[in-house]
Amino acid sequence: MLLVPRELRRSGMTGNVPYYGGRFTPAQAYAASHPTHRPPASATPAGVATSRGAMPEPTRPVADALAALQHLQETGVITPQEYDELRTRVTP
Amino acid sequence: MGPVQVLVVGFEQPTFSGEVLAEFARLQEAGIVRLVDLLLISRAEDGTFETLNAPTGLEASIGGELAAELLGRSEGEDGDDDDPDATDGTAWSLADAIPTGSAAAVALIEHTWAGPLTAAIRRAGGSALEETWLAPGDLDRLEVLVAQRQS
Repeated sequence: MLLVPRELRRSGMTGNVPYYGGRFTPAQAYAASHPTHRPPASATPAGVATSRGAMPEPTRPVADALAALQHLQETGVITPQEYDELRTRVTP
Repeated sequence: MGPVQVLVVGFEQPTFSGEVLAEFARLQEAGIVRLVDLLLISRAEDGTFETLNAPTGLEASIGGELAAELLGRSEGEDGDDDDPDATDGTAWSLADAIPTGSAAAVALIEHTWAGPLTAAIRRAGGSALEETWLAPGDLDRLEVLVAQRQS
């Protein structure tokens, strides 16, 4: 019988292990733990030398984490209860 | 069902020897793995695939039909049931694995031993980040290290 190969998804032995109760794939978990930061609005233009004292402010990890959590809640990835619990971990 | 591995082995002559099948039987009796299905297939120089008759000495249920249906479709059949998510760079097919002008045995192997382990990993919230096999050179190094630790 002639056979046309079908495209399948590649997986490991442990499979597409769910995260946070099955709503996170490994790729989503990685992306959530490595958020992309927007450059500060006052970033120095490329090619302009700056001294250490004039460097822009570092990124705002707490604000970014809260924004990411908010996004996850709004998109249904985490529940409001999980949002509250995770928020207590990232706020000082 | 435990995790199922797709093992594609190239052969000059498309067959699984009696020795290989005997080893599968031994592993199945030991509850380690189960040969779910075995498909023999050839690929012509023009890239087309053709299924071959199952080797002798196998259970009647292992005739390659299941693997053929899972891994391919008949010519003319539409591909509407292809995995829509298999376009994120993780997709593969027999066309990636089997060179033209060759033959292969495609085994679906259930790792029955791994079912409880993967379930435990899942319950623990584990996330699969990497999974591979050690290359022969690294395996040699590991054997040396194990021997040193035991001496």
